[in-house]
Amino acid sequence: MYNNLQTFLLLAALLFAIGLYGVLARRSLIAVLISVELMLNAASINFMAFNRFLIPEPAVGQIITLFIMAVAAAEAAIALSIIIAVYRKLKSINVEHVNELRG
Amino acid sequence: MKAVALFLPELYFLLMALVLFFCSLRRQTEPSKDFRLFLAMSAGGILVGALSLFQQGSLFFASYQVDLFSQVFKLALAGGVFLVALICHRLPGVEDRFHAEFYLFLTTCTVGMMMLVSAVELLTIYISLELASYSLYILIPMRQGDGIDVEAGVKYLFIGAVSSCFMLFGLSYLFGATHSTYLVDILPKMPALLASPVGLLGLILSLAGFFFKLSLFPIHFWAPDVYQGGANQLVAYIATASKVAAVAILLRFAALGSSYGYSFAQILVFLSIVSMTLGNLVAIIQKDFKRMLAYSSIAHAGYILMGVLTLSESGYTSVIYYAVAYLIMNFTCFMVLSEVADDGRDLQIAEFAGLYHRSPLLALALMMGLFSLAGVPPSIGFTGKLLIFTSAMNQGYFWLVLIGAVNGTISLYYYLRVVYAAYFMDPGDLPKVVPSPAIRWTTYALILIIIGFGVFPMHVVDLARTAVKFVLYT
Repeated sequence: MYNNLQTFLLLAALLFAIGLYGVLARRSLIAVLISVELMLNAASINFMAFNRFLIPEPAVGQIITLFIMAVAAAEAAIALSIIIAVYRKLKSINVEHVNELRG
Repeated sequence: MKAVALFLPELYFLLMALVLFFCSLRRQTEPSKDFRLFLAMSAGGILVGALSLFQQGSLFFASYQVDLFSQVFKLALAGGVFLVALICHRLPGVEDRFHAEFYLFLTTCTVGMMMLVSAVELLTIYISLELASYSLYILIPMRQGDGIDVEAGVKYLFIGAVSSCFMLFGLSYLFGATHSTYLVDILPKMPALLASPVGLLGLILSLAGFFFKLSLFPIHFWAPDVYQGGANQLVAYIATASKVAAVAILLRFAALGSSYGYSFAQILVFLSIVSMTLGNLVAIIQKDFKRMLAYSSIAHAGYILMGVLTLSESGYTSVIYYAVAYLIMNFTCFMVLSEVADDGRDLQIAEFAGLYHRSPLLALALMMGLFSLAGVPPSIGFTGKLLIFTSAMNQGYFWLVLIGAVNGTISLYYYLRVVYAAYFMDPGDLPKVVPSPAIRWTTYALILIIIGFGVFPMHVVDLARTAVKFVLYT
């Protein structure tokens, strides 16, 4: 069962959906960041699965996944530093308190 | 050596980033020195962009395409950076010691966008898009303020991150369905995917990342908050240069759907209609000038998509023309904004009252910029809209053009409200605005361009038409 493409595509789609739900439903900015990482990893799984089962060239998907990891690390660094800035100014990292701008 | 010549604009801006990086390490802060350096180097950027305008070739195992299409956009980007540099002479919204870093990240963002317009491979597109985005994520919270800056930053960050996740997920489906990451290889396989939903889903999801940059419905809602929360000069950059790069990559990518015909175009038609109607209707009730411009940018994303979805040569030509026109006219508005708001505050529309008496030249520039955005002849914006509407009409999108025209009329209302405030309202005790000589000359030049290229668009259109031949492979 684990050795076919469908399993991995379903897993990735599920992970993506969980991540999206997390982004929309969670109130803490850290939890939102974790959910975004889940979505990125879902895309990585997709790339790896397609690479493993469909594409003769063995390296492409793996290289893309490596790049996604590096980019995700940079993203986490930026996101965490902005979250710290939010905490310093607003004394909270709850999404509901970061809601001055509207109209 | 040939490779260096092909990569020259990017190399130049990388070098500029390096120089600015060393400036940012200085112990004493010297904002005026940083500003002069940034201005001089970005002027050099225009020169480099113009020199490499007719370069052609491919780099990095064919993942990087240098052709007239990419070079036109690179020149426009270099021009955009230079214009933004011109209005940074005070930069009151950002602390003095961060000025060098502010310029540094503007430059890295420009490098990212320059790579984006040349990228023809999925991974290259993703990496350069993220390089551009991450620089902007850092720039927005740099503004001094009481929390709205970090709020705008955090919103931009997470909406951007989620939309790039959508894009990446879509790209993975394209990769799986076509077994390649090169756009040239993907294109011939697209018609075969017509029957399966995976291709369409992949393509639409992939476009999400570019829709975010362009602030198009349904990923538009960051725009008003970011425009209000960011420093005025930065927002000028986001609203002009960043939009131009997004248009370029959208054109390159949407060409993939040219064989799709009906279902793909139908989705874009829907997005275009919702985007322009929503943008224009909500803009009417805005009181903050930057928020109003944000909603107007959502509406303009709709107009631009109207040209993209024709997937024809004339449509693409008109989109390139309109993108450059949009850069000029939107920048004119932001220049007036940053001159009037001399302490870097957010400007209410009411604060333009009597601008005609406080600075006749800036009032004239504001009127020209807004009339051009509204599409009043003989401005550059009118010509652009005319070209887009004509090409959509020729492809048989009658209803779309009709809705577009109605929207143009609605938009006139809120643009005119600002012009009315500037010309007919009593200035009260609002102070005079005295623009510096550099700004005065820029204003003359911009007004001249808005009228000149509006009346004589032929040269730009010809250039755009030649450039389009490199992206529309059909």
